[in-house]
Amino acid sequence: MSSYTSPIREPLVTGHKTYHQITEDLVSPTEKAPNAAWITGFLISVSLLGFGLFCITWTIWHGIGTWNLNRTIGWGWDITNFVWWIGIGHAGTLISAILLLFRQKWRTGVNRAAEAMTIFAVLCAALFPGIHVGRAWVVFYFFPYPNTRGPIWPNFNSPLLWDLFAISTYFTVSLLFWYTGLVPDFATVRDRAKGFRRKIYNFLSFGWTGSAKHWQRWESISLVLAGIATPLVLSVHTIVSFDFATSVIPGWHTTIFPPYFVAGAIFSGFAMVLTLMIITRKILNLQDYITLAHIESMNKVILTTGTIVGVAYLTELFIAWYSGYVYEQFAFFNRALGPYWWSYFGMMFCNVLSPQIFWWKKYRRNIALTFFISIVINIGMWFERFVIIATTLARDYVPSSWSYYSPTWVEIGIFLGTIGLFFTLYLLFTRVAPVVAIAEVKSILKSSGDQYTGPNAIHHGSHDDHSDAHHGHAHDSSTHADDHSHSDSKGSTYMQVVKDDLKKIEGIGPKIAATLNAAGINSFEDLSNSDTNTLQSILDNAEGNFGGNSPESWVVQAKLAFEGKWDELKDLQDRLDGGKY
Amino acid sequence: MTNFEFSGRQRTLLLSGIVLGLVCMGWTWMNDDPLHSRFWSNFLHNSVFFTGIALMAGFFLSASITAWAGWYVTFKRVWESFGLFLIVGLGLMTVIALGNVFHWHHLYHWTDTSILDASVPEKFDSILAGKAGFLNYKWYLGGTVIFVGLWYFIMTRLRALSIKEDEGNDKDFSSHRKMRVWAAAFLPIAGFTSAAMVWQWIMSVDSHWYSTLFAWYTGASWFVSMIALTIMTIMYLKGRGYFQNVTNEHIHDLGKLLFAFSIFWTYLWFSQYMLIWYANVGEETIYFKERWDNYPVLFLGNLAVNFVLPFLVLMRNDTKRKWGSLGFVAAVVFVGHWLDFFLMLKPGILHTAHEAGGGHVGGFAAPGFLEFGTMIGFLCLFLFFAYTMMSRTRLEPSHDPYLEESLHHHV
Repeated sequence: MSSYTSPIREPLVTGHKTYHQITEDLVSPTEKAPNAAWITGFLISVSLLGFGLFCITWTIWHGIGTWNLNRTIGWGWDITNFVWWIGIGHAGTLISAILLLFRQKWRTGVNRAAEAMTIFAVLCAALFPGIHVGRAWVVFYFFPYPNTRGPIWPNFNSPLLWDLFAISTYFTVSLLFWYTGLVPDFATVRDRAKGFRRKIYNFLSFGWTGSAKHWQRWESISLVLAGIATPLVLSVHTIVSFDFATSVIPGWHTTIFPPYFVAGAIFSGFAMVLTLMIITRKILNLQDYITLAHIESMNKVILTTGTIVGVAYLTELFIAWYSGYVYEQFAFFNRALGPYWWSYFGMMFCNVLSPQIFWWKKYRRNIALTFFISIVINIGMWFERFVIIATTLARDYVPSSWSYYSPTWVEIGIFLGTIGLFFTLYLLFTRVAPVVAIAEVKSILKSSGDQYTGPNAIHHGSHDDHSDAHHGHAHDSSTHADDHSHSDSKGSTYMQVVKDDLKKIEGIGPKIAATLNAAGINSFEDLSNSDTNTLQSILDNAEGNFGGNSPESWVVQAKLAFEGKWDELKDLQDRLDGGKY
Repeated sequence: MTNFEFSGRQRTLLLSGIVLGLVCMGWTWMNDDPLHSRFWSNFLHNSVFFTGIALMAGFFLSASITAWAGWYVTFKRVWESFGLFLIVGLGLMTVIALGNVFHWHHLYHWTDTSILDASVPEKFDSILAGKAGFLNYKWYLGGTVIFVGLWYFIMTRLRALSIKEDEGNDKDFSSHRKMRVWAAAFLPIAGFTSAAMVWQWIMSVDSHWYSTLFAWYTGASWFVSMIALTIMTIMYLKGRGYFQNVTNEHIHDLGKLLFAFSIFWTYLWFSQYMLIWYANVGEETIYFKERWDNYPVLFLGNLAVNFVLPFLVLMRNDTKRKWGSLGFVAAVVFVGHWLDFFLMLKPGILHTAHEAGGGHVGGFAAPGFLEFGTMIGFLCLFLFFAYTMMSRTRLEPSHDPYLEESLHHHV
């Protein structure tokens, strides 16, 4: 990591946080009783999950005939949902692995929740192939095992089996990655806990002590896992795309599928991360850790991947015409203008057109709009899979086989059930683990905290106090008020806590120090945030004769003291004469 | 040394390389078949290869600006200079495009419009008739001039703003913010238009064949070549005493890009090959069958040189930091991707030439001395142009907002 941060960069941790405050803010949600919003959300999620379980039982009890699949449409909502969930699962690994390799500091605000989301989404996805086999009790046919049907594993040349391996590898690595990140944070939770709770977290953190050796090993394994996870981000959805593209079905058999599916998966994953993080930051008051800068960066990823998907859609459409292959041409004609035209146009509108609004910085930083677009993209990416699957299968080579498909209540119920499962797990996660990675946010504080970089950094001495320093960063009207009250309260706590020996500043003696303390200037940081004129007027208005003392160098000195640059301070003081230049 | 001085010796050396290229091209022309298939295919091969490298330099520079990257800034003038080569690329590709209009060459089967007449059934080619709306000289010429011109125009904007930053009057980063706008605009423009040009310039030499992945595959090949050439250029300039601030940390990151995108190229190669092999549709497999049957050494060598070698050599940390290993891989991979373009273009062109009664000359089964000589000529032209651009302003920028980050870069 570079030791220098360009002034053009925005801070990624706002509110002039100290390390202790970061711990306080991020661990406290796991220590308090849940609020009403959480309980309501949890009840709804569990109810949906319950209904989903009922529908799954119904399917297994009565058989797959309770779905509306027919002779050509062998895949309907089940595989649509499967691909949708797997796609959503991609953002976590992308954020934790690829963005780690790319040294993107903003990933620290969202990686923990995104990785959790990955694991829950993969669980939801894995459900569908499991029940789609119909006779779940012979699901072991998937696996290579000694059998009487020949020496070769019966399904080994099918991408569906490769899928099983790819997804289980991906799930394992994602889980390891997520858990490795959690270990030091569980230790932080443990250190604040008492009794049985302490024992549990001690167990979960593997007895982490925070020694240099532990950290060194932890950093090594994180990098190794990132290296392993990076090809997995590509491999999983590549193999999902093989499920379609290895066939000779027009509309499915096209070589662009692997990278296009990966781009689409990252796209949909980021949309779901945005949906979750916008709610989470609001409910858990994490606006200082998931800032508008984070949301803007994610919106840029959304715009990029949405446009890549757009290039792929148009490439497919164009090459279908270019190929001169009538069945391919018909498949695309049918997608756009056939009986499912609405899903094709929904897909184009939601995935390609709607993200284009993020070309404008104003909209990238608009939280309400971002939330709305993220939902639109979630829907659009579901449409994409529905278009690929159902639309294609509904128009076979032979017109006599043409059919139409709409889901039964059982299929809809199972889909709702996975949404319930996803949110149930996510809500539980917010109760037991810090949703923002404490250790990782602390690692970027010195380079990206707003007291060190950006317009509110303390070397900008024009601000009078802390609360004023927060005015700049929230442009969004809907959360402006929240950001404010939140930051203000933190700011004032902070000022009470820190008290430095101001006498270390050349030119300040015990009397002036007392005068400054009376004026609310207690720490080097406070002093460095003041400006010379204010200080002069404090001195002028104070009792006692400070006429010979000039505060002109104090702000500069205090800044060095606050940043711990004692050598530089000493050099400066050597050059100063009684605090004067 | 803040400014690059393009010395007389370097000029002489590069000019002799260009002369060598011209001699090879002249030699090729004189010993060619009546269609001059070998001459024109070499001309197209190298024009496409180096124009694409220039495009990718501009593209990656834009991507870096858009992503707020800081590490590359101290050597960004290399990519700016590479990107400006697009104006030369525009000239070269326009020659090919005009060749379609005036039938100077017969590189593309679709330029023969007599096969589009349905009333002559023995000559009629229904597939090419279906594609005639796109595969015609108007699209080719218009796309080349407008799209490459647009890429070049955006590169000149980025370059001008970059030089303006050096004046140091940019306290509120206004030049940099303007660069972000141009850079962000360049990404989708390059993304959409480069695909169209790849279909025209390269994929349509196999005029019946198609693959949706082809444009991205070609782009990845260009990209790896661009990174390899960047590594070699920086190493050379450091050897001459320039770029003191470009450290092994930067070299290491360029090595990582070379490693990662070699794997990405392989991923796209495999995706395209595997899907076509698995589905086994004759119209599609013909592309690989042709190359497998008639070019087995190049076909497998392509993978060995462009995947196995960088994968095995650059996997370790230290080989990405040592000049010997990284420079060697960069040089081999650069030639490797040039061979990849050879393999994309020559079989299709040869087939077209055979149909037209030509093609009975060397330089198609494998690159000969004349092909390599021509390539050296184009490479020297590229470097001559790039060094000229580098010498026109400070070699290392002075006021880029990310400059300090780049100077303190540590992996």
